[in-house]
Amino acid sequence: MVKKKHSLHETSTTVIVDDEADVTPNEEDKVFTNLSQTLAEIRKETGVIGYILRSNTSATIDLKEPEKIVEYALFSSQVLDSSREISELFKLDAIESVLIEGKETKALCMDIDGIKISIFMERNADHTDILKRVSP
Amino acid sequence: MNNEVYSFALKSTLQEIQNICPDVSNSFIFKDGKILAKDETTPEKDIDHTIDAFDSITEKADIIGGLEAVTIQGANGRVNIACMNDFYLTTVSSKEADEKYVNTLTRILIPIVIRLIEKIHPALPEDGTFTTVEPEPVEPVEDEVVEEVAETTEESESNMPAEETAPTEDEEEQFAPEVDPEPLLPEAPVTQLIVENLGGLLVPSDTVRIDTEVIAQWNDLYGDKKLHEVNLETLSGKTTRCKFKPIKNSKQTGKGVIGIPEKIQLTLETSKGELVMVKPIVE
Repeated sequence: MVKKKHSLHETSTTVIVDDEADVTPNEEDKVFTNLSQTLAEIRKETGVIGYILRSNTSATIDLKEPEKIVEYALFSSQVLDSSREISELFKLDAIESVLIEGKETKALCMDIDGIKISIFMERNADHTDILKRVSP
Repeated sequence: MNNEVYSFALKSTLQEIQNICPDVSNSFIFKDGKILAKDETTPEKDIDHTIDAFDSITEKADIIGGLEAVTIQGANGRVNIACMNDFYLTTVSSKEADEKYVNTLTRILIPIVIRLIEKIHPALPEDGTFTTVEPEPVEPVEDEVVEEVAETTEESESNMPAEETAPTEDEEEQFAPEVDPEPLLPEAPVTQLIVENLGGLLVPSDTVRIDTEVIAQWNDLYGDKKLHEVNLETLSGKTTRCKFKPIKNSKQTGKGVIGIPEKIQLTLETSKGELVMVKPIVE
């Protein structure tokens, strides 16, 4: 089977912010690297629009519409903040995942060991499979 | 009074959902930031905070084309906020709850109740101001007055409350079909049941097993008339007619389930966990 890698990444933008480049890799860095690799694989799947991966020190963003990075980032941040509030109200304990279904697309947001992940996909994409692959 | 009717009907429905699914610990419905109905256990303060948090997401949700549903999965449970006919239903369930079952139940039941109320009371207030109080005892009297006026237009309007004495033409048109004096014919009740697999060596492939409580209701309704067959209809419109017997498994009694052999499931293109509408055939 011929893979069409070019078309998938033509419009994507990867932003890497790393302000502690010479720090010895710790546990969080390892988790971040592993997640980064997993998400890069997921990004190739049909129906996946892009993702945002963010730790305290680094961030990787790969989105189909790079001009809307800010909107996606604000949305992701708000989802995790609001979910935390609701989770506390109903004593859900630690949040494992948040699925936001929109009229056009949906987003799967997670917080793994302080690393925040938001994966954007088409409505018909299989988010349960993605969740399994990303979950620790 | 429509707001109270909505509130009462939705509140009862929420309570029934919690009775059927004890794993659902909290449930409430809101619209435009206002509470329409809530269960007895959830404090209003918590609902207000939830609505605020939800609205914060909604404000930034243009990027996904507007918000339809949110599911927060926590270590101890799950919160689901789903849009239904412009209303938002929130359910909080334990981790053990069957998500598919809860979603099927709520996403079918609530819209049906909303549609029914809209048919009965089409003039839903535009401002969305709903209250969570119980209906006032005088309400049936007012309804009677409205009906009398609609039937005999010459009747004096002085006995009616001010807001109902001067209906617009549109309102009159809306209410007109509802006061049709045509008598309601007794119809076979339609019950929605959840499909369970029915199999085994001695299981006839043309007979379904129905919850004994549902059969008891039919027997109460039709008295000495013999009921042997039912019409089954799926939500996609597939129908079939088959024999029925009471469900054998006592654990499934009162759970709103129907055991369907594989052959009939194939005919209806349905499967375990889905809903079917069941109607007795009275001959």
